[in-house]
Order: sequence, then structure tokens, then C-alpha cells
Amino acid sequence: MGKKVLNVEDDADIRTFVSTIVEETGHIPILAKDGEEGMQKVRGERPDLIILDILMPKESGIKMYHELKSDPSLKNIPVVMLSGVSKRTFLRSQVALTEFGDETVPEPEAYLEKPVEPEDLSEILNKILS
Amino acid sequence: MNMSKLLVIDDEEGIRRMLTLSLSSDGYEVLTAPGGEEGIELFKDESPPIVLTDIKMPGADGIEVLKRVKELDPDAEVIMITGHGDMDLAIEALKLDASDFLNKPIKDDALSVALKRAEQRIAIKQKLKSYTDDLENMVQIATEEVKRRSEFQNKLITTSNDAIIATDEKGTVVIYNQGAENIFRYPRSEIIRKVSIEYLYPPELVSQFAAGLEKGVQVELSEWREVPIVARDGEAVPTRFSGSILFAESEVVGSVGFFQDLREIKRLQEELIRSERLAATGQTVASLAHYIKNILNGLKGGTYVLNVALDRNNTDKIKDGWAMIERNVERISELVLDLLAYSKDRKPEPENCFPNEIMEEVCALMDGRAREHDIRIVRKPDPRIGEAFMDPRAIHRSLLNLVSNAIDACIFDSTTKKRWLVTVETAMEKDHMIRFQVADNGIGMDNRTKENLFSSPFSTKGERGTGLGLLVTEKVVRENGGVINVASELGKGTSFAIRLPYREAQNKANMGG
Repeated sequence: MGKKVLNVEDDADIRTFVSTIVEETGHIPILAKDGEEGMQKVRGERPDLIILDILMPKESGIKMYHELKSDPSLKNIPVVMLSGVSKRTFLRSQVALTEFGDETVPEPEAYLEKPVEPEDLSEILNKILS
Repeated sequence: MNMSKLLVIDDEEGIRRMLTLSLSSDGYEVLTAPGGEEGIELFKDESPPIVLTDIKMPGADGIEVLKRVKELDPDAEVIMITGHGDMDLAIEALKLDASDFLNKPIKDDALSVALKRAEQRIAIKQKLKSYTDDLENMVQIATEEVKRRSEFQNKLITTSNDAIIATDEKGTVVIYNQGAENIFRYPRSEIIRKVSIEYLYPPELVSQFAAGLEKGVQVELSEWREVPIVARDGEAVPTRFSGSILFAESEVVGSVGFFQDLREIKRLQEELIRSERLAATGQTVASLAHYIKNILNGLKGGTYVLNVALDRNNTDKIKDGWAMIERNVERISELVLDLLAYSKDRKPEPENCFPNEIMEEVCALMDGRAREHDIRIVRKPDPRIGEAFMDPRAIHRSLLNLVSNAIDACIFDSTTKKRWLVTVETAMEKDHMIRFQVADNGIGMDNRTKENLFSSPFSTKGERGTGLGLLVTEKVVRENGGVINVASELGKGTSFAIRLPYREAQNKANMGG
């Protein structure tokens, strides 16, 4: 039985690409085009995994990740970051958020830099969801 | 010199004793000699300023003493003691510059008057001498000062890096320093006193200087200006020039010109421009490479989706994959068009077209993308605009870039929840101009962004932009004789206006096929 995988991504082409990989790996893709829509889908659909972009209009992946990991009911959903932004920069941005009094959040389950090969993403999905 | 020393020479001992007695009591130190020879020897040893000598003596007489003393010290005062009937000798002594005569028997008052006069003469001579010495000193000091100053000025002129060229009142070169040699390359030997300024100066300077020298008026050359000069080997040397007509008491005495070599400064400026251009090119290449890489990734992704769809025989997915490929092919062709438009000078290709229709085309092209992000494109065509003779491709390219930018400005406006609008407007303006206006209520621009807008490939969109769009737009508008203006406020939005000239649509019959 396939699991629900939410892809939060503003680029329509990448959404198509990622959802195809998710399907090919035997899971069910759910799509959102920014962080705001992403949080709605998280609450409504309760996905088993989230593939999250960083640079998006409205709510960015940085903020959405922090929100996910600070919410006790959501923080156990594994998150795979898929972004053009390097991991180092992303982690730094998370540390920066704690300087405003927010809690420290754990690192994401996996970090992939764009462009990603279908096999690499597929492999990570299998590893986390099996 | 000891003023109180006196030498008395007389062969009569009585007179010597009498004078010694009388003069000693007046405060003099009295030396005595019984004859001419002894007296002269004593004079050599003691150098008394005043000598009293008997005129008639055996051996060396008074005249002889006078001569010898005057030889030894022209300033010494010699008073002759004469007896009755020595007139001839006395006259001779006078010729030999004796100070005075005392007739025997010597009277005290006559003696003191004679001595007083002698002392006065000595004092005057000394004063005169000190004046003369002073004068000589002063002349020497003044001469040295003049020399020092002239040497200093000479050194200033010769060691100056600037070319200093001075002429006499006829325009003949009289000063031509090392700096001038460096700039003009003619050796000094060929120039000084051999040529006039026509030989060296550019014609416009020559005519100004010539007028100044001829009419005896100052010329307006004192403000530094850039003057290119031609060196001996034909090189055009950029210089900074200042010059002046020289006057001495309102009389023209010559001219002077100063030239600063600007080659090094120009070279540095050019180097700076080159390195800036190189850096900008590097930046452009880097951002282009990134942009192209993104397109390639899009194409690869599309190919993957298409392959999966073909394997699964999934028609919907075939459409998705194909759309991805198409979109990225479109992106790369847009990029190539931008690059071509930017790199090549393109002549406008006007033809009969409907500007409002082009505007509608562009809006329709962008509608999909706008809707995807909840942005509305509002069209406001001016109905007075009909068919016009303009370059439709230029209008299309420029509007497409501006509308695409306007949509991006709304997409990136992530902080506020507003109803995003992109308004595209055409308007007929006076002087045969049409205004195309694209306004958005998106993110707006800060001053730094505004400043860089048309100057270099510069993108605030990260990987999504090449930075070429506005450069191309500006160039296309300029090539078509138009102007582009921008108004923007951070957080409020941006408005671009393009004004392009148009002509009435041409009758097809007149267009010559």
C-alpha cells in the first residue's frame, strides 16, 4: 500500500517531475505550490513524508520547516529538503530562527540539492518509507 | 687698531723728548725713532695709526718715510714737521698724501688740532671702509639670494614632471624642460631658440597664444583643460594644459604653457573600465550558465516524465512531460533571442501593425503564468490607436520582458496578502508617440536595484533570471528611437513606461512591394 508524499514546490515542472518519481516508487503524490498551501495540505492530508523546496513565494521552505518541526503533532513527519540552496545555508537559516527565541529544531531526514536524479530521490523515499 | 698709538720720528733728541712728554700727558702711547730707517722698522712692528715725522733728516728723510709708510699702510696718517723754508718739500709731501704740517717750533694747540684732524680722517676712512664692506657684503648676499632663487626656479622647471614651455614675446621657445622632452619627444637641442610654438602646440592653442602675444592681452588659457598634442613620432598624447601670456610692467615679454601627461591616468582609467567590463562579463557568463543549467534540468526532467509515461502508456502524463519539454524549449529560445538582441545592433524593421493587438498577444501569453500565482493582468488599450507603421517585434519583445518582470515582482511579494494586479496600458501621446505602460503592485525596488537597472546584466531573481531582460528592452527601445522610464517604490510596486515613435500606417501600394 502506497504512502502519501507531499511535494511543496513553486515550480510546476519540478512538481510534475517529483510526482512522477513518487508514483514510480509506488506512492501517492500530493502537491502544494507554496508553504502556505503546504501547511494546509499537511493538516488536511496528514502525509507520511514531505519533500520541501526552500525558495518559494508566500511562505518559504525555511519558515515551513521550522513550523513543522516546532509542532508536536507534526514534527514526526519525515522531511526531505529538495532545493537549489545548499544544506549549510539552510541549516544556518534554521539556527538564525532560534535567535529570535524559537526552539532548536532537528536536521531534516535527508537533504537533496537540485538537480536531483530520479534514482536518488527514489532511493531515499524507499529508505524512509519502508 | 690702537688709536692712542703714535710714532714720532725726529733726529733731534730735544724735540723727541718734548713731544713725548706733551703727547703722553694727552693720553697717547708714544713710540720714538731717531731716524727714518729706524722709524720705518718701528712702524712695521707696531703699525701705529699716526706718524709724526721731521721732514729733514739725515739718511731716510721725511719724504722717504711718508712714501714707505703709505706703501705699508695707505690708511696711516702721516703728519710732517717742517722747519722754516721747507716749502718745496712740504708741497711734495702734500702730493704724497701727507695729513698735515706742523711748523717748528711746535705749538701745543697746533699739534692737538693736527692730531684731531688725523684722527677724524682715520675715523671717516674706517666708516667708509665699513660702509663699503657692508655694501659689498650686502651685494654678495643679494647676489647669492638671487642666484639661489634662480637655481631653485631652474630646478623646479627642470625637474618638473609637467612639460613647461616658455617663449619670448615673438613666440620663440626659450624654456623647454625635461618634462616637455618626455611628452613632445623632440630633444631640447632642436627646440630651444630654434622654433616657435607653432612647431609644438596644437593649432587652436597657437592661434590663441599668437593673438595674446601680438595684441598684448591676456588669453583665457589659465583654466586647466584637456588638450591632445601630437608628439614627434606622431603619437597623440592626451594632456592637461594651462597657459598664460607673461607681462613685465604691462609689456608683453613672452608666454608660458604647462602640460601634464595624462597617458598614465588614461591608461589606468581604461584598465579600470576593462576590468569592470571583464567582471561584468564573468558575472553574466556565470548567471547565464546557471540559467541554462536550469533549463537543461527542466528538459531532463521532462524527458524522464515522458519516458515513464510512454512505458506506462499514460496519455495524461505524456502531455505533462511534453509540456515540460516545450516550456523549457521556449525558455531557451527566449534566452537566445535576448542574447541576440543584446549582442547585435539591430536596425528597426517597421511595418504596418496594430500596437493594441501586440499588447493583447503578450498579455495572453502571460495569462497562464499569472493565473497560476493569483495575479490578474488588466488590459487598458487606447481605442484611438489603430494601425501604425512601427517595429512589431520590438514592441513584442519589450512588452513581454516588462510583463514577465511585473509578474515576477508580484510572485516575489511574499509578505503581504494583496490582490496582485499587472496593468498593461497603451496611450496615444503627442508628437507621434505611443506609450506602453506596464505597472504592478508587487515587491517594488530599492535604490540599488533601480540604479543597476539598465547598466549591467543584473538579476535579483537568483537562478530564475539572466539579468538580460531589461538591458535588451532598453536597447530595443533605444534602437527604435524611444525612451524608457521607471518609477518604483519598495513594497508598493513598479511602473515601466516605454514611449516609441510611430508613423501613419503606409499604403501598401506605396511600399514598393
